[in-house]
Amino acid sequence: MFNKKKSLGQLPSMATATSYLSAVHQADSRARGHDISPASTPALSTSSSITSSSEDTVLHESDDNNTGLTYPRTPPTSEQVFTTVHSEFGHCADESYRCVSQHNPDKPVTEHEIEEPPYYILITTYISYLMLIVFGHLRDFFGKCFAKQYFTHLMPYDGYAPLNSDFDSFYTRRLKRRMDDCFSHPVTGVAGRTILVYDRHSEDCNYTQIYPGTKTRALNISSYNYLGFAQARGGCADAVEESIKRYGVSACGSRLEGGSNELHLTAEALVARFVGMEDSLISSMGFATNSTFIPALVGKGSLVISDEFNHASIRVGVRTSGTQVRMFKHNDMQSLESLLREVISQGQPKTHRPWKKILLIVEGLYSMEGSLVNLPHIIELKKKYKFHLFVDEAHSIGALGPLGRGVCDYFDIPPRSVDVLMGTFTKSFGAAGGYIAGPKHLIDALRIRGHSGIYAEAMPPPVLTQIISSMASIMGVTPPVSSKAALTLSPSSSISTLRCPEDDVHPGMAPASAIPSWISLPPALSDGSEARMRIRRLAFNSRYLHAGLKKLGFITYGHPFSPIVPLLIYNPGKMATFARMMRTRQTPIVVVVVAYPATPLVTSRVRFCVSAAHTKDDIDTILQACDELGDILDLKHGHSERWPLEQIMRQSVELVNNI
Amino acid sequence: MSDTPTLSSTLDPLLTFLAYSLSRLESTFYKLPGSAVVTRYVKSSHQNDPGRTILELILVIFAIRTLLQSRTRGDKQGKHFIQFSEKEIDELVDEWTPESLVQPLNDWEQRDLSSVPVTTGPIGPKPKLLSNGKPVINLASFNFAGLAGNEQIKEKAIETLRKYGLGSCGPPGFYGTVDVHLDLERNIAEFLGTEASILYSQGFSTISSVIPAFCKRGDVIVADRSVNFAIQKGIQISRSTIRWYDHNDLKSLEDVLISIEKERKKRKGPLTRRFIITEGIFERDGEMVDLPKLIELKLKYKYRLILDESVSFGAVGRTGRGLTELYNVPAKQIDMLVGSVANGLCSAGGFCAGSSIVTEHQRINGTSFVFSASMPPLLATSASEAISHLRNTPSILAALHENIDTIRSVLDRTEGITVLGHRASPIIHFCLRNTQQHLTVAPPDHEAEERVLQDIVDDGLANGVLITRGKHLRGQEMTDSRPTIRIATTAALSRKDVEKAVGIVKASIARVLAKRR
Repeated sequence: MFNKKKSLGQLPSMATATSYLSAVHQADSRARGHDISPASTPALSTSSSITSSSEDTVLHESDDNNTGLTYPRTPPTSEQVFTTVHSEFGHCADESYRCVSQHNPDKPVTEHEIEEPPYYILITTYISYLMLIVFGHLRDFFGKCFAKQYFTHLMPYDGYAPLNSDFDSFYTRRLKRRMDDCFSHPVTGVAGRTILVYDRHSEDCNYTQIYPGTKTRALNISSYNYLGFAQARGGCADAVEESIKRYGVSACGSRLEGGSNELHLTAEALVARFVGMEDSLISSMGFATNSTFIPALVGKGSLVISDEFNHASIRVGVRTSGTQVRMFKHNDMQSLESLLREVISQGQPKTHRPWKKILLIVEGLYSMEGSLVNLPHIIELKKKYKFHLFVDEAHSIGALGPLGRGVCDYFDIPPRSVDVLMGTFTKSFGAAGGYIAGPKHLIDALRIRGHSGIYAEAMPPPVLTQIISSMASIMGVTPPVSSKAALTLSPSSSISTLRCPEDDVHPGMAPASAIPSWISLPPALSDGSEARMRIRRLAFNSRYLHAGLKKLGFITYGHPFSPIVPLLIYNPGKMATFARMMRTRQTPIVVVVVAYPATPLVTSRVRFCVSAAHTKDDIDTILQACDELGDILDLKHGHSERWPLEQIMRQSVELVNNI
Repeated sequence: MSDTPTLSSTLDPLLTFLAYSLSRLESTFYKLPGSAVVTRYVKSSHQNDPGRTILELILVIFAIRTLLQSRTRGDKQGKHFIQFSEKEIDELVDEWTPESLVQPLNDWEQRDLSSVPVTTGPIGPKPKLLSNGKPVINLASFNFAGLAGNEQIKEKAIETLRKYGLGSCGPPGFYGTVDVHLDLERNIAEFLGTEASILYSQGFSTISSVIPAFCKRGDVIVADRSVNFAIQKGIQISRSTIRWYDHNDLKSLEDVLISIEKERKKRKGPLTRRFIITEGIFERDGEMVDLPKLIELKLKYKYRLILDESVSFGAVGRTGRGLTELYNVPAKQIDMLVGSVANGLCSAGGFCAGSSIVTEHQRINGTSFVFSASMPPLLATSASEAISHLRNTPSILAALHENIDTIRSVLDRTEGITVLGHRASPIIHFCLRNTQQHLTVAPPDHEAEERVLQDIVDDGLANGVLITRGKHLRGQEMTDSRPTIRIATTAALSRKDVEKAVGIVKASIARVLAKRR
């Protein structure tokens, strides 16, 4: 409440609903000028006049609002102040729609629980695939006989072998193409709470798409925008704009060959502090963080133990390193332990020499399953079996834990009991790229021996600024104590300077000296109150969607706190229909459907990615849509107790708290 | 006597039940369609050869067993597996002491790390150093066309930021394809004159993803022995059959192509995909490939060409279109033209241009395209803006090449070094001149040379010029190349500045080499 008052006092506000509406009109008529920087000049008094911030809280585009996407269905009262654009970050003032993402130590860690669908679903799914495959092959066969012109790229031509063999591309041509309209949909604007998708249709079975040029605003439950930092307005965007003016757009070169800037050091120091490690390094691409630094950790004579559902980037990294790799069943601690006992006792194949080292690579939050790693158990195993632990927090960083510091924070495990923490900035921070954090000697070695340091371009300054500003606002910035708020740089121009002072406690706030002085975050961001609200909103939304879908009778996977909520669909045909029907509802919703080969063949699913930007109304909208489609498409096969939709919507808070 | 009837009476119901269920089973079996055939087959085969029945029974059991076996069982059944008791395993676990995750840095690596320059403030031709706040002339960063800090591009970036935010928050397949990405892809394709192009979010990860998207096990790759690290990694992941030819020696390439063709004819193997992979301008030494000749060979022997133009795109040709513009070769003749948006257009990311079949294929098969978030929109619009800038102002490239000539002419006359590479290359490598040429049999001491070169770099930096060694991951690279210093030229510096800078470099070389003797 205190925080809220404070923000009330310090931000130029619109006092009434009427002023809100008039601001809408004003902004519509106003020309688009970007010379204003509202966040850097916070008004001191509680003036209720419509200042520049009105342009920040409503959209320029004149959408019609019958969908409830552009403006809130219920206009804000005079008490409420929102500084975000509703279509980017939803307005939700009800403090009861919040929840704390934290592990309850009294409860055992839930592992990957899988609810089985009825047999007829499995059988029809297999039959669907069988038919698709049979028809695909028939079409290929007859097509090659009678319509050669469509198959030239699959047949030897003029002494060249086909670029892709018909066998390799069979899945893409014959299965995926049928539902190509559900993938790679071009969008425009901010990938926030809502997104503008280009309308398109195909008249030749998805070989080509026709774009009439119109756009539709849809509720976005697909982007990895967990904390809602995908914003074109607000403190972070202002900081990024300033950084472009100051530093330019590109870093021009690799980190070790002249591309290092002070911003890199600042960001790395902040990341280390954020995750609670001694040091960290930043790579300009999330995928490359794994694929170029894992080879620097392991080599010949080492063993990598990897979860079977680990991300492709980890697999590429391990493959590039040339290390032996063994897999264990997803999140199955018994399978892991027996594998550990086997590999340690057997040693290297044939020679039986002991392994030089064993590196266990797991993800914090699995992107297709929504399941959470059983970190407490792994830490126990680590003590006994002495392996090294690498946790990929691509999805969990920012999204889990009471302070958003990832799985360690969620389970209340000291981060330094993990050897290497890796994560990305694409998701919770609304930026791009990735980091690796660990002890200083390890990070230094990776800087020199990792592939990215020498060969890959360094991260561009605007992206670094987005990371710094969003991360600082999650941590909160302590006001400078003394006037000497300078960066603690060591005298040598080393790439690995900027150390945190020893008295630093994790997870604490960021000292003002840790962020560049030219970044001036608005008060709600710099005191961390807004980010705390975001984390709690995300936790509520995730739990609510999980619980709601369960109570509606769907089969879902994943941990209740996971912002990734997979809803199982099974039949391939239903999957495409689900996506299309969601997109063409009165309130359009864009969803991600995933199928083989990203998932096992039968368990096709739709994957919701909840964001803090969603309001409770949005989740209601999604639940309602799922409820209707679930009846039409026969998707409700869960065995748990079912509630009617109205009851779920009414008792949402209760539902979330008693999960 | 009296016991027997009781026993039979207790067994009676059981026996009747058994008989009943047997007859029931038999009747249902005969009701099944085709069961008569099976019975006839079993009967006749049993009559002919009773041993065969047993054999077939064993076969059926074996098949069931194989089906039921877990596919992830590892090598427990392997002949190298040693059975241990639980206690023994516990002991072995206790005994095992793993190495630490990384070996600490050695002295040289430590020095390497601490000598990395860090700039402060605007990144461009004359950045300030963080260590002492002094401005230096930048001959290390890739800013060939001098686009870093361009006001128009900055403006465009800010405009995009205000419309799109920063991150795209998703992979291209899942609502991460923003219209500005498609625009940039179209712009690049138009700029080069290809049918289409595809955008990756990091330059380094582009080609190492493009290669395995096309080259599979059994395919043939013929590559230059001295290709850059990214290509090496791509080749490694592809698991194709790889043949090398001598660095930038197209005669050697032709020999290899001929010998492959001979082998294939001898083996009468099937037609497989065949690729030639090389760089336009080599990142390692600045050599340039003879593109027309290369294309002639590729067409003659029916290979597909993957050309990495990471260095040449945006730096060579009248408007920076790369080698294809320089040699006036239509870009369509190159099957996969890979370039770097980060280097050539001063933004971030990379691209692969080619026919639309080539690019569409990568949208599903290019690992780092599929599994990575797309590039931030503002970087894409900056790159688009950079392209139109290059198109409209050919004078940039003229200035760049004037600067290259200036630097080369001074370095060519400098004692103690050998300048490598093609004279049009925007990166200029030079190495120490070997004083006792061809006299020693011992392998050259690369580390000692690196130290000397690093001294030159440090001395240059102290005097106000930022240059860098051409760094490599020694031990991880396939071939160990000669240690060099790399100068990256830029159009953003005036002739006077360039002359001053190269003068300083020359003086540094002289100073360090004099100290060494």
